[in-house]
Amino acid sequence: MSTAPGLSVEELSWGHPLPGSGWRQLFSGFSLSCPPGQFLVVIGSNGSGKSTLLNLVAGTLRQGAGRIHLGGRPLHRLRDHQRARWIGRVMQNPLEGTCPGLTVAENLRLAERRNRPARLASGFLISAFGGIHPNAGDCRRYRELLAGLRLPLADRLDEQVGQLSGGQRQSLSLVMATLGSPDLLLLDEHTAALDPRAEAMVMALTDRLVRQLGTTALMVTHSIEQALSHGDRLVMLHEGGLIGDWNAAEREFLNPAAVRAMYSDAITSMGTISTDATSAS
Amino acid sequence: MFSLWIGAYDQGLAYAGLALGTYLTLRVLNFPDLTVDGSFALGGGTAAVLISQGAPVPVALGLAILFGCLAGTVTGLIHTRLGVNDLFAGILTTTGLYSITLRLMGRSNIPLSETPAGILALPDLGLGLDGQWAVGLTLATLGMILLISFLLATDFGLSLRALGNNPTMARANGINQRRGLTVGIAAANGLVALAGALVATYQGFADVTMGIGSLILGLGMVIIGESVLRPRSLPWALLAVGVGAILFRTMIAIALQLGLEPVDLKLATALLLLIALAFGRLRIPGLSADQGRQEQ
Repeated sequence: MSTAPGLSVEELSWGHPLPGSGWRQLFSGFSLSCPPGQFLVVIGSNGSGKSTLLNLVAGTLRQGAGRIHLGGRPLHRLRDHQRARWIGRVMQNPLEGTCPGLTVAENLRLAERRNRPARLASGFLISAFGGIHPNAGDCRRYRELLAGLRLPLADRLDEQVGQLSGGQRQSLSLVMATLGSPDLLLLDEHTAALDPRAEAMVMALTDRLVRQLGTTALMVTHSIEQALSHGDRLVMLHEGGLIGDWNAAEREFLNPAAVRAMYSDAITSMGTISTDATSAS
Repeated sequence: MFSLWIGAYDQGLAYAGLALGTYLTLRVLNFPDLTVDGSFALGGGTAAVLISQGAPVPVALGLAILFGCLAGTVTGLIHTRLGVNDLFAGILTTTGLYSITLRLMGRSNIPLSETPAGILALPDLGLGLDGQWAVGLTLATLGMILLISFLLATDFGLSLRALGNNPTMARANGINQRRGLTVGIAAANGLVALAGALVATYQGFADVTMGIGSLILGLGMVIIGESVLRPRSLPWALLAVGVGAILFRTMIAIALQLGLEPVDLKLATALLLLIALAFGRLRIPGLSADQGRQEQ
């Protein structure tokens, strides 16, 4: 069993049935390690396994075989809500990463409690008498937090999240994911649904929060430009395999055209590109 | 004429637990729970058996709540552990509950001849027995609303609301969906069983078929309350549901006064709800055609 700190994925296998009949084995003996504090960016085409990898780490998909450790903890033995104690996650769709029917303050409270989820007892027994949340003290803390991040949500704590714009929702989702200083931050194409202005705002916030917390981060993106300008390390996936791995220094010599050419060369030499491989990412 | 209104008020409050339980499952948990048809009759049957055998009314009501919670737990476990569809899980439980309630009661109908001593001890406000029931049921309903408001405002309540609002996000924030849903459905059915017990005690009998159409009744009460008061916060929403229960029973009393045959009541209720679903802006999770529940 691995006890290395940071994120470690070893000998991971995962596949899914194809429509009709047949089976597609996406990952076979896939391994990847990410030292603590590293901001790892993952790129690849549709079906390469980027989002699937994130889902397997988060536990929303269960691996067929293999081990996933975070800070030495065997995540592969835990269910998704149990892994959430150490993992903050921002989804692709701004509506998915928040509860639109709850207020900004209520959403923040949920995230704040992530690493110590409410027990049945806290709802029904004596502790419930001091347990009304979010209370005035919580709201004061959230206002300071949002103002410190220069987010225009500090005065909108009582508004339902469904009333916020996509960029504001995704900013809130990002703040929620980093509350409680998680050991790992998973960013699943979290700017894909945003306009360029909101994308720039959310990415700036992402960089600031990751640096501020020093947390390990795994970001999946379709944008090569984004992949080349954020993070400490870039890896490229194709058909569940690692076909490129560059550290920050090596990445300095890359440009979008060169990455596209390398990707094209790699998949041509592998001869594995398929036209129907779109379901996994 | 006044006895008609006070009677409708009393009946509405006796049914308030059904409306609150329906609100909890449909609006808070986003779970269309058909168990209520079975747990309402189970609550009524339990109370009738115990009271007719001399048990104190509070004990009978407490056991009715407990049995309702157990029924809800069974539905929750069938859905979350066995992966059975939400509607089908409720139908399975409620089908089984019919036999269980009948076994419990020993026969299909149990009459209760005496008014509970607790009700007789209350001030009658110059309205006689109906007034005493009104005082008792008002206190019971307000107590239920306060308790549920309080619980839903705690961290645990917030977790339940998050599960109904966005289960994916709730799980990503460490909330155990299986346990949360099961506990929520159990609590809702406890309320419904309490309503069944209160209705049986108020009307003086329990019948094994008294739960048929309970979900539709509860839904109608929730819709009327929300339409009339348009609540913007949770405590007001719960109060609106209680008011909806009274208004619903009042409408039934008026309809009966105007000559509607009692045998046609359930048909009239179903048609009214269908009109609201088809032409109104009403959207019910799992029941409206354009909405699907996100499965775990």
